[in-house]
Amino acid sequence: MRDTPLSNCERLFLLKAIEQKKRLDGRETYDYRNIKISFGSDYGCCSVELGKTRVFCQVSCELVPPKDSRPTEGIMFFNLELSPMASPAFEPNRQSELLVTLNRQLERCLRNSKCIDTESLCVVSGEKVWQIRVDVHVLNHDGNLMDAASIAAISALSHFRRPDVAIQGRDVTVFSPEERDPIPLSIYHMPICVSFAFFLQGSYLLVDPCEREERVKDGLVIAMNKHREICSIQSSGGIMLLKDQVLRCSKIASVKVSEITELINKALENDRKIRKEGGKFGFAESMPKERITTLKRDEVPVEMTDVKETANDIVNSTETTTEAVPSPVLVGMGTAQIGEGIVNSWALEEDEEDESQTEDRKTDEVMLISDSEEEEVVILHEEAQKSTNTSGEK
Amino acid sequence: MASVEMRLPAVHKPVSPAASQSNRDDKHLVVPGDVITSDTGFMRGHGTYMDEDRLTASVAGEVERVNKLICVRPLKTRYNGEVGDVVIGRITEVQQKRWKVETNSRLDSVLLLSSVNLPGGELRRRSAQDELAMRDYLQEGDLISAEVQSIFSDGALSLHTRSLKYGKLGQGVLVLVSPSIVKRQKTHFHNLPCGASIILGNNGYVWLYPTPGHQDEEAGGYYTSMEPVSLADREVISRLRNCLLALAAHKVLLYDTSVLYCYEASLTHQIKDILKPEIMEEIILETRQRLVEHEG
Repeated sequence: MRDTPLSNCERLFLLKAIEQKKRLDGRETYDYRNIKISFGSDYGCCSVELGKTRVFCQVSCELVPPKDSRPTEGIMFFNLELSPMASPAFEPNRQSELLVTLNRQLERCLRNSKCIDTESLCVVSGEKVWQIRVDVHVLNHDGNLMDAASIAAISALSHFRRPDVAIQGRDVTVFSPEERDPIPLSIYHMPICVSFAFFLQGSYLLVDPCEREERVKDGLVIAMNKHREICSIQSSGGIMLLKDQVLRCSKIASVKVSEITELINKALENDRKIRKEGGKFGFAESMPKERITTLKRDEVPVEMTDVKETANDIVNSTETTTEAVPSPVLVGMGTAQIGEGIVNSWALEEDEEDESQTEDRKTDEVMLISDSEEEEVVILHEEAQKSTNTSGEK
Repeated sequence: MASVEMRLPAVHKPVSPAASQSNRDDKHLVVPGDVITSDTGFMRGHGTYMDEDRLTASVAGEVERVNKLICVRPLKTRYNGEVGDVVIGRITEVQQKRWKVETNSRLDSVLLLSSVNLPGGELRRRSAQDELAMRDYLQEGDLISAEVQSIFSDGALSLHTRSLKYGKLGQGVLVLVSPSIVKRQKTHFHNLPCGASIILGNNGYVWLYPTPGHQDEEAGGYYTSMEPVSLADREVISRLRNCLLALAAHKVLLYDTSVLYCYEASLTHQIKDILKPEIMEEIILETRQRLVEHEG
C-alpha cells in the first residue's frame, strides 16, 4: 500500500524549520540519534536501534567450493531485506529502487573496502572455502536505513565466530563449538556509512535524517570512513555539490565514524565480558522490559533556555496574596474559635439560656466558691462574664 | 507565556450512554476468529472464511445476513466508494490526460481530464494544449473535492468535478477521521452558523474553511483566494477541528447537526482544553443528550 503523501503544509514547515536550523526532534544539524547495539545469544546476531529505526543482522557461514576466478578466497554474500513491518510502503517480494540502492551500497561498503580478509577464509584451495552470509532485515523504518544497516552488518561480523577446522591432506574436519572454540573473523577495519541529506539546492545539510526529513530532501551523499580513510561515496538525487561541501562532509563523517566505532567496540567488549564471566547474555537481557504502560514515552529534550527568566517574571508580576489569618472569636468563657471548624458546643448552652438562668448560675457559682457568710466574697467573675456575654452576643 | 501541564495516569470510567444500550443488543458484533455459525447451509461473503466447516469472521465488525449470504461489515476499514459520494482527495500524480488522487481507499482514485471543469466554458473539447497545461490546474499535493462518478472493475474510483461547488480547495484545515463515522446525507457541504463552512467527505476527510464572502463564478472552482483569514474565523475553525476530533474519538456520527451541537457545547471551554479526556467526555455527553432530544 502506498504511503500517504506528505501535504504541502508539512513540506513547507520542514523546509522553513531547516532554514532556521531547527529539526523536528530538537537535534542539532550534526547530531546523530541514540544508537543502541545489542547482541544475541548466537554469535553473529546483532540488533541496532538508531532512534526508532531498527535493523537486525545475522551472519552465518557454510563450506562451499570457491569461485573459479578466485580459488583461494572465501565468498561474502550480502542480503538486505525490507520487511513489510518496517513501513506500510514496503510490500513483500517487491524489488523497489530503495531496496536495490541499499543492497548495492552495503555490498560496496563491505566487500570492496576489503575489510574482511577473504584469504583467511580459504580451507582447501580450489575446493573448499567458507562462504560468509550476512542477512540484514529492516524491522522499523524511521529514516536513515543505510547507516543503521552498515552498523549492524559490521557489528555482527565482528561478533561472529566461525567453526574451527583441521586439515589433514585433503580431509577436512569441522569442529563443533563444543569441541573447539570457534574463531573470530579477521577484520582489518570497520567501514561505517554516514548519511547526509541536502535541502534547498544544497544550501542546508543535515546528518542522520529522520523519515519526515528524508521525504523532503534533495540529494543524499553517503561517505564511508574508518581510520580517516574513505571507503565509498555515493551521491543520489542528482544534486550538484561544490568541492568544499564534499570535503566538509568527509570531515564531519570522520568525527562521527570514530564515535560510532568506539560505541561498537564498547558493545563488543561488554558482550565478551559477560560471556566470559558466564553471565546471561542475549537479547532477552540486553533489551529492556518494555511493558505497555499508560505514559510510556522516550525522553524528549525540552527547550529550557529562558525558563529561569520567565519564571522570575511570573513570580514578580503576580501580586502577593494577603495573608488570611483569622482573628480569634471569643465564643464563651474560656473558649475561642480561630477559623472555620465544627460548631463550638462548649458555649452554646450559655447563649441559648435566658439571662435569668445565667444569673442563677452566677449565684450558684458564688455559693460554690465559699459557704461562709462571714467573708465578703468579691465576685470578680461577674464582670468578666458580663463582658464575655456581650461579646458573645455580638 | 508557555506553561507546562502534567497529567498522571488515572482510571476513568468510559462514557456509555444508556440510550444506545438497546441498539447494541440487536447488533451481532464479531472479532476476527469468532465463529459466526456452524451451519453449513450459508454462503460466505466478504469478511468471512471457512475454518473446518465453521464460518468464522476475518475482520472485526457487524454480521450482515441477506437470505443465505453472510458477510461481515468491518467497523474500521479503508474507504469503499459508492457512486455519488462526495470525497476529498490529494493529487499524488499527474499522468497523461488524468490525475491520480489519494482518497484513503485501497487504490488511488482517478480524475480524468475530461471530468474536470476547465476555465473558459464547460463544453470545450479537450485539446493537446490542455493536456500539456494540466499541471497549471492541479499539481501534486493539491487538495480537491470531487464526486464519485463510477467505479472501475478493480475497485478504483473515477471522480469528477463537473460542478462549480467541486474543485481545488484553498485555505482551510483538513481533519482525518474514519470513513465509517461520516453519516451519509443529502448534502455534504454546509455553511455552519458559527461562521465557518465544512465539507464532510465520505472517505473520512473533512475540510473546514472560512465561509467565502461572495461566490466567484469566473474560474469554475480553481480560484483559491490567498487573502489572509481573520483571527476570529481562524479561532472558529480551530474550535471546530478540535470538536471533530472529540466526536471521532467517541465514535459519534458526523453530520452538520452533531458538529454544531458539539461546537455549542464546547463554547464554555477554551479551544485547547477540548482535547483533554475529561472535558471531551463532558462535551460529548452534552452533545449526545441534545441529539437524543432532537431526534424526539
